[in-house]
Amino acid sequence: MKPIVKEYELFIGPNHPGATGNMSYHIWVEGDKVKKAETRVGYLHRGFEKLMEKRIWMQNVPLVCRICVPEPDVNEAAYSMAVEDLMGWEIPERAKYIRTIILEMARLSAHLLTVGGIAASLGIYTAAQWGVGDRDYLLDVFEQITGARVYHIYIWPGGVRWDVPKNTKELLTKVLDYLEKRMPLYEDLIIKNKVFIRRAADVGVIPKDKAIKWGVTGPNLRSAGYQLDFRKLEPYAAYDKIDFEVPYYPKLGEYEVLSEGSDIYTRTAIRMLEMQQSINIIRQALKDMPEGDVLLKHPQWFAWKVPAGYSYVRVESSKGEFGYFVVSDGGKKPVRVHVRGPSYTHGINVMETIAKGLNVADFAPTAISLDVCPPDIER
Amino acid sequence: MMAKELFPEAQELRKGRIRIETTKDKVTEIVKKLKENGYEHFVMLSCVDWIKDGKFELVYHMWSYEYREHVMISIKVDRDGDSMVTLRDLFPQIETYEREIHEMFGVNFVGNPRLGEFILEGWPHMPPMRKDFDTEKFVNEIYYKIPEVKEE
Repeated sequence: MKPIVKEYELFIGPNHPGATGNMSYHIWVEGDKVKKAETRVGYLHRGFEKLMEKRIWMQNVPLVCRICVPEPDVNEAAYSMAVEDLMGWEIPERAKYIRTIILEMARLSAHLLTVGGIAASLGIYTAAQWGVGDRDYLLDVFEQITGARVYHIYIWPGGVRWDVPKNTKELLTKVLDYLEKRMPLYEDLIIKNKVFIRRAADVGVIPKDKAIKWGVTGPNLRSAGYQLDFRKLEPYAAYDKIDFEVPYYPKLGEYEVLSEGSDIYTRTAIRMLEMQQSINIIRQALKDMPEGDVLLKHPQWFAWKVPAGYSYVRVESSKGEFGYFVVSDGGKKPVRVHVRGPSYTHGINVMETIAKGLNVADFAPTAISLDVCPPDIER
Repeated sequence: MMAKELFPEAQELRKGRIRIETTKDKVTEIVKKLKENGYEHFVMLSCVDWIKDGKFELVYHMWSYEYREHVMISIKVDRDGDSMVTLRDLFPQIETYEREIHEMFGVNFVGNPRLGEFILEGWPHMPPMRKDFDTEKFVNEIYYKIPEVKEE
């Protein structure tokens, strides 16, 4: 029998479990093959960059963290580093270690959500529940340190807002021990699960020779076979003093190498390995953290005048390169703050390109495995 | 070759940050040359509104994994009705940045087929990221105007 409709259009999102947040994909499907995909954004634009031009430098700190919901701290860190760069400030050593701990806790909590999300998009809903649940233990520690669970507003230009509580080491070690014990369970449920492997291997591949050209960064780039990480390439906070490994394809440790390059399976495996590295980084930072001040004694915030100039600062977030381009004319307010979110390339150009030829059932897992966070597409 | 060797006029802002000021007609060539010389990661395209000079500054950011160096290529275009040629053939992701700048600032990129609605929808007003777009006034006019009660 001849099919009545040959080609049809599907709208995935903005209210769809396969779309990572408030964005949507418009796809053209023939049979069950995706012919073409277009990313539709605009559901979330809050005009942060415009607002930042109207506020004094310090007032922007509580604003920037809202640019990425699952991992807000990278924004605070990058913005603060850009201001420090223009001001010519060197922050205290202890503050660098505290920033490292906060950023790695953020990475862990973001990866837990993503890995759980990828698994859930392939029908393993338990992993998503676990991820959200285990992330909550990290949020508890965030609350103890910063006073807030999601938007911490803790990293400030000049250091961090206040010193960590005295019992941070015990609190964090307890959570890290717990997470370490949980990791094998996640592995059994996801990475070593036959159902997951059958669905995830060789699906949604980013070709190695195209990865850098397309502007892919972060775990998605490392799973394509490059050992590139801005924590190593341009060390910030205390990363230059900490000994850690950058997992990349095909060095997947104890996990099997099943496919060629950056597919759903490898991207998940790299994130699992990065979580183990994050635990190791936090443990080291807790051990080596020196005593001392945590915030520079700088002039009153209202009086800040940032010297004229251009600064671009980047941070390795759980999703890729998070960059802040800050322009000052020597005044009390920035002239321009432009945020480079990793999802901008991953969610639009890369997804639109690799979606072609996908089975319609593999579309959502592919989109989620790129770890797209729509708030950083539309700031 | 590193950016400083390729372009002696480049200015070093700090270690690993290079800024090249140039003109509109030379950008394509510079970006192409940097791409061939190891600056293979196109980071982003930014736009800065210098309203007092009547200019937009377009900044092309490129990074070299090999030299660990970030290059910002700056050009100035007129605020009103000026256009720039698209560089989407060199790096595909530039297309999206151009779409956003076209929508938010009003710079036209010749040769980009997707300059349409991107983030905004049905926006008849001035591009909102321009400095002369007054957010507060706009909000007050559009959202907080109390409709007059008409007596019949």
